[in-house]
Amino acid sequence: MDFMLSPEHQALRRLIRDFAETEVAPVAADLDREHRVPHEIMRKLGQIGLLGVCFPQEYGGMGAGEIGYCILMEELGRVCTSTATNVGAHIGIGAMVIYLDGREEQKQKYLIPLARGEKIAAFGLTEPNAGSDAANVHTRAVREGDSYILDGGKVFITNGGYADVITVMAATDPSLGAHGGITAFIVETDWPGFSVAREEDKMGIHGTSTAELVFEELRVPQENVLGKVGEGFIPFMKSLDMGRLTLGAAGLGGAEAALDWAVRWAKTRKQCGVELAHKQSVQWMIANMATEIEALRSLIYRVGWMVDTGQPFTQLAAMCKLYGSEVASRAIDMALQIHGGLGLSRDFPIERFFRDARIAEIFEGTNEIQRIVIASDIFRQHGVRIRP
Amino acid sequence: MKIAVILGRVLNPAGIVVNRRRGRIFVNREEYVMQPADRCALEAALQIKDGSEAEVIALPRDLLPGDAVGSADVLRRALSMGADRAVNFTGRASDVDDAGMTHVLAAAVERLGGVDLVLTGATTWDTGQSQLGPRLAEVLDWPQVVDAWAVRVIDDRAEVVCQILSSPVRGDRGGGSGYSIFEVDLPAVVTVHPGALKSRYPDGVRLINVYRDDGVVEQWDVAEMVDTGNLVPLLEKRGQDFPPQRERGVQLEGTPQEMAKALAGELKKRIG
Repeated sequence: MDFMLSPEHQALRRLIRDFAETEVAPVAADLDREHRVPHEIMRKLGQIGLLGVCFPQEYGGMGAGEIGYCILMEELGRVCTSTATNVGAHIGIGAMVIYLDGREEQKQKYLIPLARGEKIAAFGLTEPNAGSDAANVHTRAVREGDSYILDGGKVFITNGGYADVITVMAATDPSLGAHGGITAFIVETDWPGFSVAREEDKMGIHGTSTAELVFEELRVPQENVLGKVGEGFIPFMKSLDMGRLTLGAAGLGGAEAALDWAVRWAKTRKQCGVELAHKQSVQWMIANMATEIEALRSLIYRVGWMVDTGQPFTQLAAMCKLYGSEVASRAIDMALQIHGGLGLSRDFPIERFFRDARIAEIFEGTNEIQRIVIASDIFRQHGVRIRP
Repeated sequence: MKIAVILGRVLNPAGIVVNRRRGRIFVNREEYVMQPADRCALEAALQIKDGSEAEVIALPRDLLPGDAVGSADVLRRALSMGADRAVNFTGRASDVDDAGMTHVLAAAVERLGGVDLVLTGATTWDTGQSQLGPRLAEVLDWPQVVDAWAVRVIDDRAEVVCQILSSPVRGDRGGGSGYSIFEVDLPAVVTVHPGALKSRYPDGVRLINVYRDDGVVEQWDVAEMVDTGNLVPLLEKRGQDFPPQRERGVQLEGTPQEMAKALAGELKKRIG
């Protein structure tokens, strides 16, 4: 067993950390305060090649694999959850579904500009009645000649307000449900019939666009069907598996940042004549944070390695998302506690991280869904099929 | 146009803790970064390359024994940022200072052949030395300009922008009162100020490919280039000293007059 990152991944981490600390960290609080999407940062990430970090070089990517993508999300998660979320929605789900199930000409047309950051992607799954019940989509796609006409809408779509390309799941035969009745499409947002209805006003991740999208007689050419007609549910779920792993990686970054702040503060803040670091109550919190972070790091990079070596990872990806989001929330909460009242001040980044962390327990499958995925897989191995 | 850039490594300060009271440096994470001034020198070279047909060749600043995470890493980074070639020195000797290194680098410049411009950092982060550039110019018998803020090549000469440092006696606290432009005939050696240029990021695809390619950095045997017996160091390290622990600051409160009075009183007390 070798737990060391390869030299190229170590070099990649140095590059990303340098970028994150130089370009992202100084503006993270402003993005939050001004509810501003980091377009300039996304453009620079694309220029360096980081928006295609995990895709093969023949598709405009960097070829650093899933481990490289985990490094990107961890390092961005350390400084700005909003930026990590923009990147995650673009690479991990929006573009990923084209990479996993797109035909060669679709990869040439869409994946290459997405991997180079020339275009931005979003992932159109969630609807008012299709959240955790993802297969219950009401957006309809009806065949008309050599096209499909899309009618309906999506909600809570990350990057939805500014994406150029959206992968959309729609019902082509509602009577067949998830298996046979749902088709995935690649939609360009400048096509007639596409509109952004509203942007959500959220508790956290203010530097992201979370949009409600409307499709009104939106004509999608046949060649933009992703995968096979009626079999769009599976590629969307496969993309979510990938996204869940790297959401965990972003959580790892947030937890690491929280530990850094907590240690720094505990070294300098004196109460009752001694630094907080000498208080056993604080030591225990630090120890708990560090232990969970170490366990999470091992899980994330092991699963990254499994993806890169072609092993099944659905159950473990759900664990990454579940554990990663909860470790981040706990670590940030403890760091806030160690900072006392100042932890609530907007002069410190902890307050922003505290608000930003909460969403990770909800999006891309709530943590309750992750537990169902994990338990279902375990029971399936023992011959019991769980029905959610 | 051929530009040789000399690049060194230094421990990343983020991975070390200095305990001044105990006079010790604790290395928590042995991670090296390119010397900041050398990074600016590389950027200057790449900017010249951006506007011309220049070839940029990266050379190491140090001879390091047992070099697991040494200059080869810095050279790879230079390649990923846009350098065309990188040469590392093998058969490494320990205890080679800037004086000895000058002879190795002069031999390397000659072996490369046709080098028009040598760029390197004006100073180092760890030892604070500024010797390498001037010493190399002396050995090569080339003109030199030190502490440049910008370098431009026009035909067979380099235009170098340097900051004019004014005398503190004249009351200028800004560290400079303007810039001068020097012209120097090529070939020449130019050292670059550590804050001169914002360094570009490596290209991601190049970075991955460079680190995956074992043979991407050329290896030259020092013994074939110079008589290693002559690389006797002129510098001897006799120990290290640390400045005293910095005292905590005092926050003054009240009106500006009250704070000024309190400050004056505090200064009087300390000066005596």
